[in-house]
Amino acid sequence: MTSDAANGTAEQPARRPQRSLAARLVFVAAVWSAVALALAGVFLVGLYERASERAFDAQLEIHIKAVIAEMLETTDAATARVVSKLTAPTYRGDPRFSLPLSGWYWTVRRAGSDAILYASESLVGDPLNAPPIGDEDSSAGFIAGPTGDEVRVLQQKITVGETAYVIAVAAATAGFWADISEFGRMVALTLCIVGLGLILAIFLQVKVGLKPLARLRASLSAVRQGEAERIDETLPQEIAPLAVELNALIVSNKEIVERARTHVGNLAHGLKTPLSVISNEARAANGPLAEKVSEQATIMSTQIQHHLERARMAAQRRVIGVSCETEPVLARLIRAMEKIYRDKSLSIAFDQKGAIRFRGESQDLEEMSGNLIDNACKWAAAKVSVKVAPFSDPASNRDMFAIVVEDDGPGLTPGERAEAVKRGRRLDETVPGTGLGLSIVADLAALYGGTFELDGSALGGLKARLTLPSLGTE
Amino acid sequence: MRILVVEDDTDLNRQLVTALEEAGYVVDSATDGEDGHFLGDTEPYDAVVLDLGLPTLDGLSVLENWRRDGRTMPVLILTARDRWSDKVAGIDAGADDYVAKPFHMEEVLARVRALVRRAAGHASNELTCGPVRLDLRAGRVTVDGTPIKLTSHEYRLLSYLLHHQGKVISRTELTEHLYDQDFDRDSNTVEVFVGRLRKKIGSDLIETIRGLGYRLGAAGDE
Repeated sequence: MTSDAANGTAEQPARRPQRSLAARLVFVAAVWSAVALALAGVFLVGLYERASERAFDAQLEIHIKAVIAEMLETTDAATARVVSKLTAPTYRGDPRFSLPLSGWYWTVRRAGSDAILYASESLVGDPLNAPPIGDEDSSAGFIAGPTGDEVRVLQQKITVGETAYVIAVAAATAGFWADISEFGRMVALTLCIVGLGLILAIFLQVKVGLKPLARLRASLSAVRQGEAERIDETLPQEIAPLAVELNALIVSNKEIVERARTHVGNLAHGLKTPLSVISNEARAANGPLAEKVSEQATIMSTQIQHHLERARMAAQRRVIGVSCETEPVLARLIRAMEKIYRDKSLSIAFDQKGAIRFRGESQDLEEMSGNLIDNACKWAAAKVSVKVAPFSDPASNRDMFAIVVEDDGPGLTPGERAEAVKRGRRLDETVPGTGLGLSIVADLAALYGGTFELDGSALGGLKARLTLPSLGTE
Repeated sequence: MRILVVEDDTDLNRQLVTALEEAGYVVDSATDGEDGHFLGDTEPYDAVVLDLGLPTLDGLSVLENWRRDGRTMPVLILTARDRWSDKVAGIDAGADDYVAKPFHMEEVLARVRALVRRAAGHASNELTCGPVRLDLRAGRVTVDGTPIKLTSHEYRLLSYLLHHQGKVISRTELTEHLYDQDFDRDSNTVEVFVGRLRKKIGSDLIETIRGLGYRLGAAGDE
């Protein structure tokens, strides 16, 4: 028992749901888009920063050139001759060079010395600690200004006569960085919007792209539920072969069942005909041997019947996606019963509420209801009633239908009823051909997830109620 | 009463023929579908016992062909495939009753008796005409309550006339239904048997209709 339980769990490992294909595609595309957009953002901000720096430097260069121009008196005003002599610059090209500690400064110093020769009014005597320029003709960089705030400083070396001078122009960078970070914010916002748009587009693309898979699933489900016989093969070329293979599987499944059924039928014919010969021969003869043969033939007949029924049911379990209308099957059976029992002048009333489809083989429905109606006709005095009605099973939340067959015959005692509906049993184990055939009904009903019960009928005889799964009312 | 047995198993065929003959029927037999179909199509039978699993032409097709060609004799099908779908297919094809294999011979005899009786429009297993009473189950004949002994030919003749009492039966019809297919149709043995039967059950019961045949009981009289 323990090993059985262990086997049970080993054979059925807990099913972990796999992440959805759509989620997987969207996730990968989203991660890739986020990385690509972030890299693009960094690159864009870098580009903007460099461009802004160049523009800032170009502005400072203009001021350097203006200071140099003031320092060098290149034209003698009196003679209008060109000369080259150093004069003290008083450059105020921008009002911020006059405003104390405005953040905009210029200085002139001798190369190789920190001592300032001339400076803008805005420095108000404070030093501008521009770094030494060395052998370079010009340099650019960031330093702390006289107020401690960062400034961008551009320096250029000029030589007047024998002496080299370094002109430095500095401007506060606060506005510059504010511009760049504002640009960065705008880029980030724009790229976020683009990113979201992309994810949405990917999601839609995946949804549309995977739609044929959903169609395939719906088609397969319709086949499994018996609403369709085969899967729709008009699918994109990537998954069409899958539908073709599934259809082939369904056909092969049906063929296997059909073959099994034919084998069972042939076996039945092959065994029952000689058995008829043996038992009739034995019954015609006298003596203990004939009696023994007759008795054993009866047992063989019961056994063959029992096992053929089981074999038929085993074959039944493999059928995929079959269903049938109940009304024609029952009407046909009732017509046959009226013919078979015409000597009894029975009145067989048939009432079905709406169109109902049995979720299973019509042969099985015929077998179950055939046994019930035949049994009712066999025992009825004058009346048999067959009622079919759909209902919804609240326990399993499934669409079901009930076939209720009643007769006005002698009925069964509660004990006999309980015995008759036991699965895998026959009430008539020793008498072939005269049984109630109710155990086969109970077995088949259980196989389909239905129920079978017997009760007393208001008509006076037996009431058999069979419930089976349906495709719902139409 | 003439019966056709179509069964491919020779042993079972022999058993059926013997049992039916012992029950007072004239029996022809066939062991394949085509022969069976031909006999049923050309000879007048009062009932047919037809197996469904037959070589050359299956029983269901034989039956469908007969019905399509307007042959209305009652047919009892024997089937080893005893699912309701098989039985209903047989009934739908035109069978009047079925017996599932393996069966007891008594069951087949009872069903055949019922089919023949029903086809002639009788509800009971006892046929009567005036003082004559025939118990189909026991195969016993009484006149005014006294059992009388009949030969098999006399029994068949009386049974056929009782099944069709009130109707004029021609000598040809009697010959066709009382003898198997090999019988010499020109012989006048029917007249001989009618004469013997009249002596045993009373001369006024069987009426000779000149030029037409014989009639048992008045027209419409049961």
